[in-house]
Amino acid sequence: MDKVVIKRDGSRTPFDVGRIEQAILKAMKACKRVSEPDAKHIALAVAEELDGREQVAIDEIQALVERRLMQSYFKDVARRYIEYRHERDLERERSSRLTREIQGLVEQNNSELLNENANKDSRVIPTQRDLLAGIVARHFAKTQLLPKAVVEAHDGGFLHYHDLDYAPFFPMFNCMLVDLKGMLENGFKMGNAEIESPKSISTACSVTAQIIAQVASHIYGGTTINRIDEVLAPYVELSYQKHVATAERYKIAEAEAYAKEQCEKECYNAFQALEYEINTLHTSNGQTPFVTFGFGLGSSWQEKLIQRCILEVRRAGLGKHKKTAVFPKLVFAMKRGLNAHPEDPNYDIKRLALRCASERMYPDILNYEQVVEVTGSFKTPMGCRSFLSRHEEQGQEVHEGRNNLGVVSLNLPRLALLAKGNMDLFYKLLHGNLELAFEALMTRVDRLRHVKAKVAPILYTEGACGIRLKPEDSVFSLFENGRASVSLGYIGLNEVCNALLGHTVHVYDCEQRKALVHEIVACMSATIEKWKQQTGLGFSLYATPSENLCSRFCRIDSKDFGLIPGVTDKGYYTNSFHLDVQKKVNPFDKLDFEKTFPPLSSGGFICYGEYPNLQHNLDALEDVWDYSYDCVPYYGTNTPIDECYDCGFTGEFDCTSKGFCCPQCGNSDSARVSVTRRVCGYLGSPDARPFNDGKQQEVLRRVKHLDAEPA
Amino acid sequence: MRILQYHPVDVINGPGTRCSVFVSGCEHRCPDCFNKASWSFKKGEAYSEQIKQRILCDLGDQRIRKRGLSLSGGDPLHPRNLAAVTDLVEAVKTQYPDKDIWCWTGYRLEQLEGAQLTLLDCLDVLVDGRFEAEFKDARLCWRGSSNQRIIALSQRYANEPYSCTIADISKRQTRQTQ
Repeated sequence: MDKVVIKRDGSRTPFDVGRIEQAILKAMKACKRVSEPDAKHIALAVAEELDGREQVAIDEIQALVERRLMQSYFKDVARRYIEYRHERDLERERSSRLTREIQGLVEQNNSELLNENANKDSRVIPTQRDLLAGIVARHFAKTQLLPKAVVEAHDGGFLHYHDLDYAPFFPMFNCMLVDLKGMLENGFKMGNAEIESPKSISTACSVTAQIIAQVASHIYGGTTINRIDEVLAPYVELSYQKHVATAERYKIAEAEAYAKEQCEKECYNAFQALEYEINTLHTSNGQTPFVTFGFGLGSSWQEKLIQRCILEVRRAGLGKHKKTAVFPKLVFAMKRGLNAHPEDPNYDIKRLALRCASERMYPDILNYEQVVEVTGSFKTPMGCRSFLSRHEEQGQEVHEGRNNLGVVSLNLPRLALLAKGNMDLFYKLLHGNLELAFEALMTRVDRLRHVKAKVAPILYTEGACGIRLKPEDSVFSLFENGRASVSLGYIGLNEVCNALLGHTVHVYDCEQRKALVHEIVACMSATIEKWKQQTGLGFSLYATPSENLCSRFCRIDSKDFGLIPGVTDKGYYTNSFHLDVQKKVNPFDKLDFEKTFPPLSSGGFICYGEYPNLQHNLDALEDVWDYSYDCVPYYGTNTPIDECYDCGFTGEFDCTSKGFCCPQCGNSDSARVSVTRRVCGYLGSPDARPFNDGKQQEVLRRVKHLDAEPA
Repeated sequence: MRILQYHPVDVINGPGTRCSVFVSGCEHRCPDCFNKASWSFKKGEAYSEQIKQRILCDLGDQRIRKRGLSLSGGDPLHPRNLAAVTDLVEAVKTQYPDKDIWCWTGYRLEQLEGAQLTLLDCLDVLVDGRFEAEFKDARLCWRGSSNQRIIALSQRYANEPYSCTIADISKRQTRQTQ
């Protein structure tokens, strides 16, 4: 009876001594020591050894060949044979990883994949389709598109090539400021419809929602509308004129007062509809789009009306339970002489913004002068924290339509762990990894080099990117000369200190450590500057938010280095330059600690303070906002706004390693609670969609920067 | 007097950003008190010139500006605490006439006598009365139960929606006796 060989995937094939001989010859050729008689002899000896067996596993045959070769004069051939076998093993492993990941999605048991993004509900079909596409895109990019060194650095946890599930497989970019003004004024084509310039604020808002949905499906990061109050104000005026005309037609006595009131109602309703639309949207990326509205600098009555409507709509909440809306992120600009002080004309809007922040966490604030000083000009961040630099086109400052090409982040704590306290070695490793990161970032850039406008009409031919190209035009000119940014991110300065200098004193309390972390950031910043000169591209240094990364890097490093106190023992790494979430300092001191970093890391940043419920003490919240005005460009206040629908408790739920639960009645049923937390720059509802383990650990350890409750 | 806790930056106990002092010692022993640790007169650090100077210094901080001082506990108006509290409050009022002082006590205003009454001249707001669990309401600001009153002793807080004045109280009492 003929022997059967059982292969690794379980399939069966007839035993063939010729194939053994071929494999040995291959190894001989690689060593340049070909001897056909010897190959034949060894193959036959192996076959003889297996005589009488009905079936034999492939591993067993290979082991026999190895042993025979090692016993012969062909020890180098044996080595080559083993290496070849190892490579094949790896390759097999790689292709089966794809299968395993898909399996994890199908069986819904790969929690890392399923909870990677707090904004994706992996239980629903469209999101699963997106995740499946992501698995394949990531696999293909890693095996076919990216340089081997970059893939190894990514897999080894030296750096993180963000959003591999989208790019470089797809020629997509990260986040952008949509040129809403240009699109609304000049009209555009979307799907089957030609959209003309709107004639009222209600139409303008509904068209805005459509644009956001489209844009968000063509990029993988955040979609921001910069200065939305100023952009949409003309449509409030059009609505007003319409209502005036109606009043005149029907001979209404107080035409102006009537028109104003109708206009205010229409505006509120329009923004309420926009809020609902954005929170119910589901883009082809399988998620509610990450949308940010920047507003606050307008001073006309139309602009102020929009500011007030945005805030009042947010305060009102969504649905029956008046749940806090997670999107869009609201970013309110403060400016001296406009709204910062009681004597300023828009001070009432600032007070309303404070009230809204105390109830709904958003808005975060942009401090006008600081934004200009740190980033070169005023603009709202793209997505949650990515800032463009100043850029001119035909002598004019331009922001709208610009974008970020993506991020690669460095795992600084890992380099610090490898350096074992040796500073020279640390910097050597840093420079080596900066080179790798450059190589990685250039793959992002190069992927877009020969892309044609037709791949994303909404972005490139219909105006979202600010310039309308023809379908066959190359899009690359939109990204050159600093028009787009491309960002190097970093994570875990807090852990770097402990890894390099030991877990003895906190960086906050130690001047030497403070100097060290500044030096590291300054070093990266200088490298970026060099890349900028070298390429003419808008490289920028970005303080990585690391929603998913905070646990990924730490997990890899704890595997390789064990649990290092103050470094890998917490299960997460600290966000960029942020102060350790466990360090108890008041928000003023925290601002002082963090304020020196945004200027060094101007491609992206945000600073936070953790607060108790301040709904009764807006003046105190205002004190911190005012203090932040001269410290940092961009500030967010985290306040507890959780709600239990069972017992009516509002305030802060207990965060346990298992989830969130009402401190009053113990309720933790996600259908009967509303829990809102800051995940990265965005809010999330961790009751409905759990955070990843590292993020849950980090949230668990956050200390309030102002709780004076008695112990 | 001993001080159980001192918070140089506080936003929970009174409006604006404040310094707050939790004194030790209270005999009201309200059930469900939020700060039972403060009942004993023996806990915490003894009040001293040094502590007083630190509080004065923090109140005058130009970097983190404070609206005023909050006194809680414990009961700052307990006879055993009165001398030290008066010393602190007078020093604050002398040095910073524009900063306001809030004080929480378990006594009712009507029960106060002697030095307790004298002290009121230096306070801007007195939150009075025991904590009564049956009147507990988490939505209230600056007090735990609705039987407690936020009494504006100076003009500064006389028109707040949450405050009442001594005139309001005596008017109400006259009405009740009629």
